[in-house]
Amino acid sequence: MKFMIEDLPVLFPYPRIYPEQYAYMCDLKRTLDAGGHCVLEMPSGTGKTVSLLSLIVAYQQFYPEHRKLIYCSRTMSEIEKALAELKALMKYRADQLGEVEDFRGLGLTSRKNLCLHPSVKREKSGSVVDARCRSLTAGFVKEQKDRGEDVDLCIYHDNLDLLEPHNLIPPGVWTLDGMLRYGEQQKQCPYFTARRMMPFCNVIIYSYHYLLDPKIAERVSRELSKDCIVVFDEAHNIDNVCIESLSIDLTEESLRRAGRGAANLERKITEMKDTDAQKLQNEYAKLVEGLRDADQARDEEAFMSNPALPDDLLKEAIPGNIRRAEHFTAFLKRFIEYLKTRMKVLHVISETPPSFLAHLKELTFIEKKPLRFCAERLTSLVRTLELTNIEDYQPLQEVASFATLVATYETGFLLILEPFESDTASVANPVLHFTCLDAAIAIKPVFDRFSSVIITSGTISPLEMYPKMLGFNCVVQESYAMTLARRSFMPMIVTRGSDQSQMSTGFQTRDDPQVVRNYGNLLIEFSKLTPDGIVVFFPSYLYMERVISAWQSMGILDSVWKSKLILVETPDSQETSLALETYRTACSNGRGAMLLCVARGKVSEGIDFDHHYGRTVLCIGVPFQYTESRILKARLEFLRETYRIRENDFLSFDAMRHCAQCLGRVLRGKDDYGIMVMADKRFAKKRSQLPKWISSALLESDSQMSVDQAVASAKKFLKTMSKPFPAKMQEGISTWSYEDLRKHQKKMEAEKPRMDEDGEEISYGQRVLAQAREMEDEMDVDEDMDAAMMEVEVGR
Amino acid sequence: MSRLAQPKTSPVIKRDGRMGGGAGGPDGELHNDIRRMNLDQTQSTNADLVATEICPVCKSSRYLNASLRFLVNPECYHKMCESCVDRIFSHGPAPCPIPKCGRTLRKHRFREQTFEDLRVEREVDIRKRVAAVFNKREEDFENLRDYNDHLNDVEDITFNLIEGIDVEETEKRFEAYKQANSREIEENAQMAAHEKQSFTQQQKVERHQAKQRREAARREEEEERREAEENRKDVLKRLASGADADTVAKEGQRVQLRKRMDRQAAAERQRQLQAAEDARNNGSSNFVIKGLKAKTKAEPEEPIDPFGGLRFVDSYYSLQDDYVWEGIQEAKKDVRQTAGGYDVMDYARRSLVAAFSGLGVFVADEVTQRDQVGQDAEAVGTARADIGVKDIGMVDAA
Repeated sequence: MKFMIEDLPVLFPYPRIYPEQYAYMCDLKRTLDAGGHCVLEMPSGTGKTVSLLSLIVAYQQFYPEHRKLIYCSRTMSEIEKALAELKALMKYRADQLGEVEDFRGLGLTSRKNLCLHPSVKREKSGSVVDARCRSLTAGFVKEQKDRGEDVDLCIYHDNLDLLEPHNLIPPGVWTLDGMLRYGEQQKQCPYFTARRMMPFCNVIIYSYHYLLDPKIAERVSRELSKDCIVVFDEAHNIDNVCIESLSIDLTEESLRRAGRGAANLERKITEMKDTDAQKLQNEYAKLVEGLRDADQARDEEAFMSNPALPDDLLKEAIPGNIRRAEHFTAFLKRFIEYLKTRMKVLHVISETPPSFLAHLKELTFIEKKPLRFCAERLTSLVRTLELTNIEDYQPLQEVASFATLVATYETGFLLILEPFESDTASVANPVLHFTCLDAAIAIKPVFDRFSSVIITSGTISPLEMYPKMLGFNCVVQESYAMTLARRSFMPMIVTRGSDQSQMSTGFQTRDDPQVVRNYGNLLIEFSKLTPDGIVVFFPSYLYMERVISAWQSMGILDSVWKSKLILVETPDSQETSLALETYRTACSNGRGAMLLCVARGKVSEGIDFDHHYGRTVLCIGVPFQYTESRILKARLEFLRETYRIRENDFLSFDAMRHCAQCLGRVLRGKDDYGIMVMADKRFAKKRSQLPKWISSALLESDSQMSVDQAVASAKKFLKTMSKPFPAKMQEGISTWSYEDLRKHQKKMEAEKPRMDEDGEEISYGQRVLAQAREMEDEMDVDEDMDAAMMEVEVGR
Repeated sequence: MSRLAQPKTSPVIKRDGRMGGGAGGPDGELHNDIRRMNLDQTQSTNADLVATEICPVCKSSRYLNASLRFLVNPECYHKMCESCVDRIFSHGPAPCPIPKCGRTLRKHRFREQTFEDLRVEREVDIRKRVAAVFNKREEDFENLRDYNDHLNDVEDITFNLIEGIDVEETEKRFEAYKQANSREIEENAQMAAHEKQSFTQQQKVERHQAKQRREAARREEEEERREAEENRKDVLKRLASGADADTVAKEGQRVQLRKRMDRQAAAERQRQLQAAEDARNNGSSNFVIKGLKAKTKAEPEEPIDPFGGLRFVDSYYSLQDDYVWEGIQEAKKDVRQTAGGYDVMDYARRSLVAAFSGLGVFVADEVTQRDQVGQDAEAVGTARADIGVKDIGMVDAA
């Protein structure tokens, strides 16, 4: 279907379009035109990816700038799905336009998934593949070969050098499988093909980490131009990804290994002095001059790089006291030894980087400045020594990045030393957490560099939290409701058991037998009435185990067993995938099954329970984080002091976004249906924090139910759902044909003059925010303001 | 700046292993001892674990005596337990009981080791000594290259001392530097001490403020909860007295909202005030300048002008380089004339001055001036001088 959005012709690869897809595209175009960032929430299963891709590709092809699209997603399967969508879209475009456009779309993933080398690809672990690949493809290995030494090279990688560097792979969209096949045919390495072709692509699809993790982003994504369109899909967890990419945990074991790595380096230096002193001398001379290797920056083989150093620092010369290789290794050893000493302390310490540095200086005379250059100096040294077995130096690199980060950032980070794993442990197993508290640090370069960053997900409410936490301004933030021809999903909040006593997994009542029994009854009832699959989410593994054993002794599991097979998620991913497989089989063959899992586990993110795989999702308890964790406490305090986000607001926001993720698992499209049960009395107050599409479907009458009421209305709901529902009935309401779309556009045009009178067309959320700000400015209270305040209250 | 000359082009430091005699000798041995000690330790981690638990002198182990403490003496870095130290050294200095060591140790210098690795322990002691002397800061240098070179030199010296390479010579360099820069060293030490003090103070203040903020947040939350409770009670009371339910509920909400807004605004104002104050405080007390020394180029000096701006240039004539006149042609060439330093042009200049002097001098004016001078006896000298100046200047008079 082809239609126009303002002046832009869009080709959409399906004959019908959902109204929310159209709205989404309009907002997207507005953002791209304005050249700013945006946050968009669209219900899962309404074709977010395809509307995104079709609009942006249309935008690329129509406007002369040909802005590149960088599409970041979370998992491999999502990347593959996006590539397949893109391929279908381009095929449709070619059919419609009657010509194949000059277009390249590539996906990038790790070496492990893209390797073709016969022996390397058989390795199981990703880091081993990386290391072996480097030993076969590094620049100096090739030099050695040219000198006539007997070293192994990867033939797939070498063949790339024979091709034209800007045309390693013909235009078109290449799925990962397609790349592998093409690589096998042409005997060329798919991984390096993708890496090297990135500057010549129209669309790049890869994982978050290639853009957010500063250690990787520096190498992979530095050449992308400023006007790229960056999309973060499934971005509801983006702040945690940012934080993890800059946090480092050190243990005694890793320090020991780092110490060994430093000793190895020392030995290698002595060896090199005997054999090839000139090389060390060259490196030294370069460092004295303060010159970076021109090719060094672009070196794709480089395995270590700087974590987030400011640019002006990168141009400075390495400090004199770590210029010489042997001085540097001694420096590293001293630093590691100091960290070991710190680990011996038997009480919890939390300190800021400046006070850590002060203590470090007092004890070991290590200054801040050389510490800051630690990571870079190590990279340079490793390159000079031509080390290949790089995985041995991984812990050392970790220590070096730690050194660099701790000396670079004064705020936004905290060092927490926890000597014991738990409060009851008596044997010390110290861990030094260097935790990043500010999600904005890692993502700041992305916002600074690219003019349009789009953050989107199925569940990203409340929208204004993200710009606040990530430190950016957005031009559009919008949440779309789901248009439905019939009420195809039913969210409800169960606050009481059949005996009218309240249900909650709050700390005081969670082990109360009455509460556990009420939850058990809820489980039994829903297992009886739900066809096929049920998914149950618990707030934590610990609680799940406790409750399951209690249910076992109460005989609750036995009654569930009559109607459903019971499967449990465990922290082990292989066990879990086995359980999932069994679950699917049981759902498909009619036995029916129940999956008990954890709200922050693997199942809650990224595994879909569409159609009969999930007809009911039960969320037992509000999935709060473990609030006694010191890292979380530190982060909460930081958020309060820096961004004025209150502890409780953040905790509840975080719990609700995970809850929404869990609930969204069952509904994966418009022809799907399901029941969403939130079973905790605390949910009643948190209704407003659910995504718009869920909260708008949650009726007032369904928000304070007891178990028996819930069962009755669920039965009624399932009966209406079981009636046949031809697709024709959706037309014009939840799906639009071209005519419906035109009608809508005409209507909008007719309304437009009126809208202009009202002022600028800005989204509701912004309008409310603007009002709130105005109110804060003028202090005198009058009638108008009160009315506005009421609006704010409603808006929240 | 006195640069310690060391050929920087040789990255491979000459390694003498064992030093022959002199002051360097024992230190080199000590160094090798320690190296051997640590090698033994690293060779077998299991044995190492046991070794750290057993006193090498009395063989008592931590397994039997949980409160066993080990001490080292920075003289030789041999480890022994506390009771051995008491036993051997309480009657004054005694030789180290470890075989083949035999250094004289004193009890008061024994201390607990900070680092697990004794080599690092020793290294840090040496660094302490070096850092006390080589304490130049980045501000003392005009460009980064110099600063980095200085750091490199210092590191070379330290490294030599630690590894026992050329100890004698290095010590000499060390002492020389110390002598040459004693004043700067002291100044920088003072500055560092001051900085450290202000840093700890600042930290203390920050901790205090954080605590206060935490408390304030808690109070605020409590307040809010209390108010909400009160409001609810109020609404209930009014409802009980028979008011219209809708308006009461709305009003209650409104009151609560207004209160919250007020509080938020107040908190925001408070925060801004605090921030402003912080900024002011930072501006005055904790102001530390970092970075390279500012480069100031000396301005070119102006030529000395002894007559204070008075110049002997005439406007009536200009002196030519050469004058063709028979009278002086001869003299110009004559060696006898010029040998003594006589310049014939002097003659020309003098003649010209003589020829033009008096032009532009008006006698009538001078007469009136002289009359004035006569009346005003004190000014005579100066007036005379003025007139003289005019005579010479001629320009001024014109």
